[in-house]
Order: sequence, then C-alpha cells, then structure tokens
Amino acid sequence: MQRRQLETAAANYSYLRGLLFVPLGGLSLLAALGNWQVGPLRHDWVFVVVAVAIGLSYLPISRYYNDNYGRLSPSTREQVRVAAGSVIAVAVVLGGSTLLRSRADWSLDLPVNAIAVTFAVVMLISYGIGVGLKAHHVIIWGALLVTGALPVWNGADPSNIGVVLAGVAVIVSGVFDHRLFVQTFGPPHAVDYENGDVAA
Amino acid sequence: MLQPEEDLVLDRLIHEPGRLAILTVLSSVRDADFVFLQRATGLTKGNLSSHLTKLDEAGLVEIEKRFVRKKPNTNVALTAEGRRRVAHHWDQLERLKNLSRA
Repeated sequence: MQRRQLETAAANYSYLRGLLFVPLGGLSLLAALGNWQVGPLRHDWVFVVVAVAIGLSYLPISRYYNDNYGRLSPSTREQVRVAAGSVIAVAVVLGGSTLLRSRADWSLDLPVNAIAVTFAVVMLISYGIGVGLKAHHVIIWGALLVTGALPVWNGADPSNIGVVLAGVAVIVSGVFDHRLFVQTFGPPHAVDYENGDVAA
Repeated sequence: MLQPEEDLVLDRLIHEPGRLAILTVLSSVRDADFVFLQRATGLTKGNLSSHLTKLDEAGLVEIEKRFVRKKPNTNVALTAEGRRRVAHHWDQLERLKNLSRA
C-alpha cells in the first residue's frame, strides 16, 4: 500500500484539475489585449462581455470534474496553506516586479520582463510545494522564467507581453496538468455516477 | 511462547487494505464524496460501499447522504476516533518495519 500516494490524492485532485486554469489563462490574455485595445476590445462593454463569458466557462469545467471525479473539502490546514500561499504569491509578483523593473526609486531597473520572471517563480514554488514539480512544470514555467530573465527587454514597459506569456503558460500548463490528472485518477466516465452513488 | 507486545498488535478492522486506503485518503481531507473515494482508492462501487458500512458501524467515519443536483451523493468524513486510529495504525506499521530492519 502506497501511503504517500493515498495521502497526496487530495492534493493531486486540487492542483491537477488543469482545465480550470484555462479560463484564468484566457482572462490574462484578454487583459493584455484589452490594455492594447485590440479590435472591438477598445470598447469597455465588449471587454466586460468577453470577460464574463470566459469566467462563466469555469462552471461547466468545474461540473465536469465534480461529476466524473467527485468532490472533496480540503482540510483546514490545507485551506490556510492555500490562503497564505495566495497572499504571498501576490506579494511576490507585485514586490518582485517593482524591484526588478519599475519607476520606483529602489528598483533595480533591469532589462527583464519582471511579470514573466516573478510569475514563473511563484508558479514553480507553488507546484513544488503543492504536488511536487513534474517535468512539464519545469519546462513550461522554466521557459517563462528564462524568457523573462533574458536581458533583451529594453525600451517600452514589457509588462503586457509578460501577461500574455503568463496567460499562455497557464493554459498550456493546465492542459498538461489535466492530462496527468486523467492518468492519475482514470478516464472520465470510468465510474458509474449516472444514478448517483451507492453507499452504506 | 512469545507474548506480542501490546503496542504492536495491529487493528484488524483498519489493517484490511481497502479500509486502510479509505481511511488514509480521508485523513488528508475534511470530507470527500463516494466518487472521489472510488477514484482515489481504485475500489469497486460494491467494495467501497461494504467497507464504508463497516467503518461507519465501528464509528470511524461519519456518512452523510444528500442530493446534489437531484442525484444521490454520499459524503464521508473521518470521526475523531477514526483519525486517531488510522494515525496510530500507520505508526504501528512504521515501528514494525523498523523492527524488521533491526
């Protein structure tokens, strides 16, 4: 009996439902395109409608996972850990990007893409602590980190491009996470849930 | 005749692999439903149901039956006693493993 495998089932369930990250990546791309005022996104109402549509796509994806793979409530300890991790992640992205490149007096003002670098670092740490880094995490988030850290980001503020790169990375990582999720928990419909479950 | 050290006597109810798997998965969450337990343990519907009945009767888990979108849904959580006993059981197994190495 693999104790570790059983104990990490809940963490794998929480972290590897990768399709849930696809709308988040979509929202990042939308935010960047909105900042650039691309096409109809120059109109605020179009931006809002598209954002709501992307946000609503979260619901059927969540339902897909709940129906096919069940539901769980994380332990209080895990909830506190996730909440604390989220606060720290936001602080690292904001603080780190201001330190690496910004108009602040104390900024190092390096020719890097600070958003890409800090986001990649946060994701690598988050996955590393949550479920352990898998090969695709190292490749995807490592590539974002290296791309952002290359000293080629001179000139105009590259933050928006960083948001695009981060959004693409979130989507690609999500697809690979989902693939790993299915390998771990089995294909959808492998469990008969149509008529509900049967228990004690 | 060797007297078994009382501390090292394994809990037969928990030691059964299916039940130990269920309790171990539940020990890492607040609660989980039947489908998740089936996915995480790889047990069949019938086996999982049967094991849950035994664990419920022993007071190691609490079972809540409810409806989610008009479908029956069974939610399961460890009781405080269940949490204590599965942790103790894994400690026992670790100790036995260490003894066998010594």
